[in-house]
Amino acid sequence: MLKKAFVPMALVFMTVTFLMTTPVLAQQVRGVTDTEVIIGQTGPQTGPAALWGSVARGSGLFFKGLNDEGGIHGRKIKYILRDDGYQPPKTRAIATEFVEQIGIFGVVGCVGVGPGMAVRDYYTENKVVMVSFGSSGVTNWIKPFNRYIFATYPLYVDEARGLTQYLFEQMKLTKVAMFYQNDDYGKQGLEGVESYEKEKGLKLVASVSAEVTERDLSSHALKLKSSGAEAVIMWAMPTHAALLLTECAKIGFKPHWATSSTLSDGPLMMQITKGLWAGMINSFPIEPPDSNSPLMVKYRAWHQKYEPNERWGSYYYSGIAYAEPLAEGLRRAGRTLTPETFIKAMETLRDWRGIAGPFTFTSTDHQGAKYVYYAQVQPDGSMKKLTDWTRITK
Amino acid sequence: MDIKRSYYEDIELFKSSTILVWSILFLVFLGILPWLVKTYHLLGMSIYVVNLITINALVAIGLNILVGYTGQISMGHAGFFAIGAFTTVIFIVNWSFPLYIALPIAGFISSAFGFILGLPALRLKGPYLAIATLGFGMTITTIIKHMEFFGGRMGLQAPKLYLFGTPMKDIHYYYVIMIIAVLMVIGALKLIKTRVGRAFIAIRDSDIAAEAMGVNLTYYKTLSFAVSAFYTGIAGGLYAFILGFINPEGFTMIMSISFLAMVVVGGLGSVMGSVAGAALLTYLDIKLQVVQDIPAIGPALVAFSQKYMSIAGISNIAVIVYGLIMILIILFEPLGIFGFWIRTKRYWKTWPF
Amino acid sequence: MLGQLIVSGLAVGACYSLLALAMVIIYKTSDVLNFAQGEMAMVSTFIAFTLMESYHVPFQWAVILTFLFAILLGAFFELVFLRQAKEPTVLGLIIITLGFEMILMGFAGWKWGPDQRSLEFPISNIQTYNFFGLVMSKINFWTIVISLVLMLILFLFFRYTKVGIAMRATQQNQLAARVMGIRTKWILSFTWAISSMVGAVAGMLIAALGVLDPTMMMDPLLKGFASAVLGGMTSLPGTAVGGAMLGIIENLFGGYVSLAFKSIVAFAVIVLMLCIRPSGLLAKHYVKKV
Repeated sequence: MLKKAFVPMALVFMTVTFLMTTPVLAQQVRGVTDTEVIIGQTGPQTGPAALWGSVARGSGLFFKGLNDEGGIHGRKIKYILRDDGYQPPKTRAIATEFVEQIGIFGVVGCVGVGPGMAVRDYYTENKVVMVSFGSSGVTNWIKPFNRYIFATYPLYVDEARGLTQYLFEQMKLTKVAMFYQNDDYGKQGLEGVESYEKEKGLKLVASVSAEVTERDLSSHALKLKSSGAEAVIMWAMPTHAALLLTECAKIGFKPHWATSSTLSDGPLMMQITKGLWAGMINSFPIEPPDSNSPLMVKYRAWHQKYEPNERWGSYYYSGIAYAEPLAEGLRRAGRTLTPETFIKAMETLRDWRGIAGPFTFTSTDHQGAKYVYYAQVQPDGSMKKLTDWTRITK
Repeated sequence: MDIKRSYYEDIELFKSSTILVWSILFLVFLGILPWLVKTYHLLGMSIYVVNLITINALVAIGLNILVGYTGQISMGHAGFFAIGAFTTVIFIVNWSFPLYIALPIAGFISSAFGFILGLPALRLKGPYLAIATLGFGMTITTIIKHMEFFGGRMGLQAPKLYLFGTPMKDIHYYYVIMIIAVLMVIGALKLIKTRVGRAFIAIRDSDIAAEAMGVNLTYYKTLSFAVSAFYTGIAGGLYAFILGFINPEGFTMIMSISFLAMVVVGGLGSVMGSVAGAALLTYLDIKLQVVQDIPAIGPALVAFSQKYMSIAGISNIAVIVYGLIMILIILFEPLGIFGFWIRTKRYWKTWPF
Repeated sequence: MLGQLIVSGLAVGACYSLLALAMVIIYKTSDVLNFAQGEMAMVSTFIAFTLMESYHVPFQWAVILTFLFAILLGAFFELVFLRQAKEPTVLGLIIITLGFEMILMGFAGWKWGPDQRSLEFPISNIQTYNFFGLVMSKINFWTIVISLVLMLILFLFFRYTKVGIAMRATQQNQLAARVMGIRTKWILSFTWAISSMVGAVAGMLIAALGVLDPTMMMDPLLKGFASAVLGGMTSLPGTAVGGAMLGIIENLFGGYVSLAFKSIVAFAVIVLMLCIRPSGLLAKHYVKKV
């Protein structure tokens, strides 16, 4: 008799357990238990934007090392990484999963403006702290001011301004052209360059844009050449940078080149531009890949130990740079961890350095990164620092 | 068993009382679905995902009218989706229209564009029409990107809507979207049985013969595009609100192609099939990455990746599985999910044989 | 500048026409639009890359092995996926190619990661040939040559050899072709194999011109498809014409008017041309009989 009832009973039992796949969270503060803090990140691990997926994995490496050192105040960091393919609907779905099912305390990184904007308000409503949100320098994260967001990437607008200033004042170049890609990132770079030019009463001799999926830049190169520019500022992605440099070399156009921090992966760029990258001037908010600063040495050791198959590229370790302030905030908040204590703790950071430039957060200003330095790519692929940390935000 | 004895029987929406009862039960189920999802975390979903599925289903139904019933093809439906989204937001933000007026307006503007797209369709077929529609989709997104009026590159923030004074959350959107969706599904089902619907099917089966029988190709082909665009536009308007933020880059060709995939996988020429296709593909798209978390298989995959593949690309496994599922469904049942349903029904009906 | 724009347009158009060639071959034989074309080419190119980088195979042997791989890949796809479809509709087949595309893209992303690579090529992209002051990089020049030569070979093949005629017969009416003694299944596999090989050529050239990463073929495929449509989906010389026209129109518009709307205008022009000649420029317009 019991045997006959066994199968349906088992089925019912399994269905019920299956339906209740996630335990109801009973802790007081979402994402915080006595032994764990749960941090999430979304990133494009697949799809056309996959090359930024390494940022999220870099943060993962940092947390792994941190946990092995004992965690923070007796709590280990439980890190959850999800792929959103750079598609805002997916990011939003994952955000709902993070908040309602898994129950996270905060997020770190989350590359992308479109994806970020889709979830920013949702996270804010649910009191999720966001450190290095968007891991990009667009102004969306600080305007309007949002208590829960801590931006750790210098604004592209400021970065472009600073770069133009450097070219103008240090290298005495007046005829400057700009190549940018047709999205928020590129547009804000353009804005920065133009704001400096306007101040000095100058104009860009050419301003050329390209769609992100464009693979043929021959006419763009021609336009730049015919403008007679002495220097070209590039605000683009690695593929475009490589294509443009090749096209310009083909038609014999050799200006000074300068670009932003997103193209900071010197070795990779040298490889895909077959050496044309030498001489490029970069602005950087994070230590160069082969720097000997003690933290970089420690992180490279972690990299060797846990993820030796991953390439030590600048996107990868920038993930570490984004996660460091989060860890510092957790440390300063102490054992009682709530969103409020965390925010107050973060706002005590003054010129705090990890492997990135000095961060400062106040109760009215959550844009922490205001410094970059300038470096030039050497023929062997390494970076030579040209200046020290320079303040680019007023 | 499906013999119709009079014209009026044929155009009836509920063929028998059984179907009527099941439909009502289904509606009740839809009504309590949010509660079910929230409490039991049904299949790991959230109300947001259900909303997204419903919106995709609306688009799939619209596209199905065009592809399944009229036999055309469109690879640019993301364009109509975008038009719907941006128009709705602009009407609400700039000119303070309430949602229930802005949404139909967006639908009609979208169908106006659909009509325009339908004009080249009169002469083009197959791959040629595909390229034309594809170009259309690209054009729309590029124009939106370049006009500051639409927020330019930065995109537009959908405003917070208030329902009787309280800000709307996912669950409120759920009911709004579901009501609209049910109405539009009934509309689609009814449409097929009217003269217009039959004209569409005639065009699909043989447009020259249809013309010879008096079906005005110009009128009906463009009408088909317009109706399809209407559905997609309304879905787009709703999409803007559940997402909260729209920018032109989000409406890619990949989105158009996934809409097409939803229709074909679900079953060409079947409204319920489109809904099923949309549900399955949207769900897979969002949930497949948990493959990595499955207890035994996950770490095995990670170990395998470290030895033979790159660890960086491990999430691509979800993409591979997604493509494989798409292929398998079509391979085993060219009529899509709806085909499975028909076969199952037939199997049970004729069981002893 | 006009001359340079045209020359660059021809160069880039040659890449598009190679992809268009691969798509037209399949369309001519089985009425299927192969959306997986780009990814098939991309995977083949990655194989070439791995052979040269990790196993240090010399370039010529790597090319031959890659062609072999591409042929097998095309035949594999046709055998395992397309043939198994029971009474498929044309749209269904297109969806199958889309599914295969996703599998290949996922596989490439998994195996090689998303980083950009650079393909070693014996012909340089930087050194140029100079004609009357107009420059064209060596690879660009050879791409044009290779695409024209391949197109010519395939054109003659389709028109004058027995297998070519068999392929055309298979497209017109598969059942009748079988009744006449043509081994249609073999012909289909053969078609896919050849198309995949042409795609591999296109992939390698495009990678040599730019960077090699899993998404490199997404845009070229689209443009290749557009070129095929422009030239006529059933016309092989049409691919060369379509590709060249697309490349030149894009560049001219980009150079003189606006770089931002470059692709849109190209598509607009194509749609306009299609309205005038609904089956493309060089194809015969078949009127369906009821």
